[in-house]
Amino acid sequence: MKRKGIISAVSGLAAGVLVAAVFFADFNKEEKASSAADNKSKAEKVYVPYGEYDDYYMLASGGHSGQLFVYGVPSMRKIRTVPVFTPDPATGYGYDENTKKMLGGYTWGDFHHPAVSETKGDYDGEFLFANDVGNNRVAAVDLSTFHTADIMSLPNMGGPHAGVFVTENTEYIALPTRFARPLGGKYAELDKYKEEYKGVVSMAKFDRDKKKFNLAYQIMLPPWSYDLSDAGKKMSGDWIVMTTYNTEFATTNLEINASQNDRDYIVLINWKKLEGEVAKGNYKEIEGVKMVDPRDYKGAIYAIPVSKSPHGVDVTPDGKRFIAAGKLAPLMTVFSFEKAFEAIEKEDYSDEKFGIPVLPYKKVMEREVDPPGALGPLHTQFDDKGNAYNTMFISSEVVKWKVDTGEVIDRKPSYFSPGHSSAAEGDTVDPDGKWLVALNKIAKDNFLSVGPSHPESMDLFDISGEEMEHIMAAPVDPEPHYAQIVHKDKIKPKKLYEKDEKRKNAVWSKEDAHIERKGNEVHVYGVALRSKFVFDAKSDRPDAVTVNQGDRVFFHMTNIDLDQDITHGFGINDYNLNFEVQPGQTNTLEFVADQAGTFPIYCTNFCSALHQEMSGYLLVKPKE
Amino acid sequence: MKKNLSVASMISLIIAAVLIVISIFIPWWGMKFFAPQYPEGLDIIVYPTTLDGDIEVVNGLNHYIGMKEFSNQSFPELAYMPYIVISFAVLTLLVAFLRKKSFLFGLIILYVIGGIVGLLDMYRWLKKFGTELDPKAPIDLDPFVPPIIGENTIANFVTNSYFTYGGYLLGIVFILMIFPLWKDRKK
Ligand SMILES: [Cu+2]
Repeated sequence: MKRKGIISAVSGLAAGVLVAAVFFADFNKEEKASSAADNKSKAEKVYVPYGEYDDYYMLASGGHSGQLFVYGVPSMRKIRTVPVFTPDPATGYGYDENTKKMLGGYTWGDFHHPAVSETKGDYDGEFLFANDVGNNRVAAVDLSTFHTADIMSLPNMGGPHAGVFVTENTEYIALPTRFARPLGGKYAELDKYKEEYKGVVSMAKFDRDKKKFNLAYQIMLPPWSYDLSDAGKKMSGDWIVMTTYNTEFATTNLEINASQNDRDYIVLINWKKLEGEVAKGNYKEIEGVKMVDPRDYKGAIYAIPVSKSPHGVDVTPDGKRFIAAGKLAPLMTVFSFEKAFEAIEKEDYSDEKFGIPVLPYKKVMEREVDPPGALGPLHTQFDDKGNAYNTMFISSEVVKWKVDTGEVIDRKPSYFSPGHSSAAEGDTVDPDGKWLVALNKIAKDNFLSVGPSHPESMDLFDISGEEMEHIMAAPVDPEPHYAQIVHKDKIKPKKLYEKDEKRKNAVWSKEDAHIERKGNEVHVYGVALRSKFVFDAKSDRPDAVTVNQGDRVFFHMTNIDLDQDITHGFGINDYNLNFEVQPGQTNTLEFVADQAGTFPIYCTNFCSALHQEMSGYLLVKPKE
Repeated sequence: MKKNLSVASMISLIIAAVLIVISIFIPWWGMKFFAPQYPEGLDIIVYPTTLDGDIEVVNGLNHYIGMKEFSNQSFPELAYMPYIVISFAVLTLLVAFLRKKSFLFGLIILYVIGGIVGLLDMYRWLKKFGTELDPKAPIDLDPFVPPIIGENTIANFVTNSYFTYGGYLLGIVFILMIFPLWKDRKK
């Protein structure tokens, strides 16, 4: 008995040592050495030496910050934050007259899906469009100045989440709604959801010369929720495709109630046809917008069943297929435009839903791609070799597969819950196949802690080889949605604003600076230059302005330093005002001088060795 | 009147006249400024009729040391230059067709005097701009005179002044003018 006990104790001990050795002994020294070498080669891939530039701009949505984030790829260095839907004291955005008007009193927006203007299905790098799901707007950013050029409100919408995408030649900037809502934002009981509530697609046009939006028409749809969308290319150029959820018409607890139907739909709309109908006068005017119901016009709208609550739908670079990502059904479905057009031609419908002809799933679908264990596919991007890349939110990975065959080629973990991803030129007719960035919704503890809310993150993958290679992760402000990665050669930023003698409110020499008074309006036509303000050349103190309490004051300032990077700021002490004039720019600050007193004015944007001396006074005489 | 210049000499002078006219459209002289903040350099380019380059930027910077602003108005010569240059071209053509050596001597002497006057005038301007600095300027600097050709350092700027294409053309014109003296030398 004793003997046996000893033997078993000894053997147990031996087993323990063995286990400890296997688990803790450092057998893989060699492996560590090679991974150090790996890290070195990864670092070399993203290192951009001083004086050189990244190859790509990544124009990334800033989510509910309402801003656009500009990154360099592959370095992942953040280059600039561009305010779009949110005021920004650093640049004076939302304080000067134009931008204040543009923001219309809103102080935030929920920016989801940036889209760069396209020509023949390829980025032309002139403008970027952005949707605001929070307050139903669309914005255009001029990529020659990286300034927001125009913002337009979209009536009848309930959050244009499924935009922005542009048609092949930016004929339209399309924005389908997320939440159904009664037209005109009117009151209607939720019990009347099916009858009173509508889904709406806004079809905006943008005039590149005037830098102005125009809402061409809106498309009225059943009260489904439209999640994401894309425009056709080449053979499918006249069409747009959108995913839907809530075909259940649920009005409460959507988490459960909008996930009951086994199938939702992909909606196909022929915008060319609708454009023609609108031109013929076939529309109703609602809230000042031309509203067209595609169900009234044969050939304008179709639906295709798809596995429930799909998320992204993306058209392949050749324009022949569109791929739906399952979200709740863990697979990607490849559909064929050719087959869809064939079914339409033969009027081969399997059903009709809400007045929309439904095309038979089996006849339009090419294949379902279901990598084992991959869960929560959200979005598809493309490379130059016929491969698709899908982010998997739940299984936290990127899956690479062949569009033609559905063969899964590679799977790599992303470091926590990727939402969208963006490949270099990955949604154009001509993807570059170089880099892919997974935009992660959650980063856990990937970086130095900044408290309970961890930064979101972005994973950079090299996709130039057969297998993807994870290169690095970078933190990002809340919250990344979609991004577009544009080759640097396609974007041509200005160095200066051109001197334009005829520009309204501009003054081009110190001697011409002057002040005009009209009743209780005071117009200062001033200049900013290193290192002074001149408001009134003829005054003893050209850098002081005296007004009466209650006057409406306009500072029309021109920066006459036509020199690179010499931006002047203009802050007024205690007045909660600051704006800027970039080199060669004229900008106006308008406010009511309601506070009497003496208020220093100073240059807020560092401009020269004598920047500290660049100041003046606003004197507001009290009312008698 | 006895013509004592050969046809070759005449052609040489005609070419000289043509080059003189061409030079009106080409910069004669320039100055380039380099500083750490301006690694790409700033240019002042002088055409016989106008100033070009980063004049406004240079003016913006010069105000720190109290230098007067450059502009076409600050150099009244620029308004007369086209007439002077054209007159030289016409004179050269005249000499070419008259083909008289004594006229040629006169032309060369006039050309050399013109050149010297031009250089003196430039020196005068450089001296005026460099030494008549505003005493109230934020940055105190000893007066300086930039060279007509060569390098100079002012504060954080290294400047290079140089003759350029138009200036070279005028050099070639001079060679074309003295060529007949060699060609038609007495043997
Ligand atoms: Cu300043």
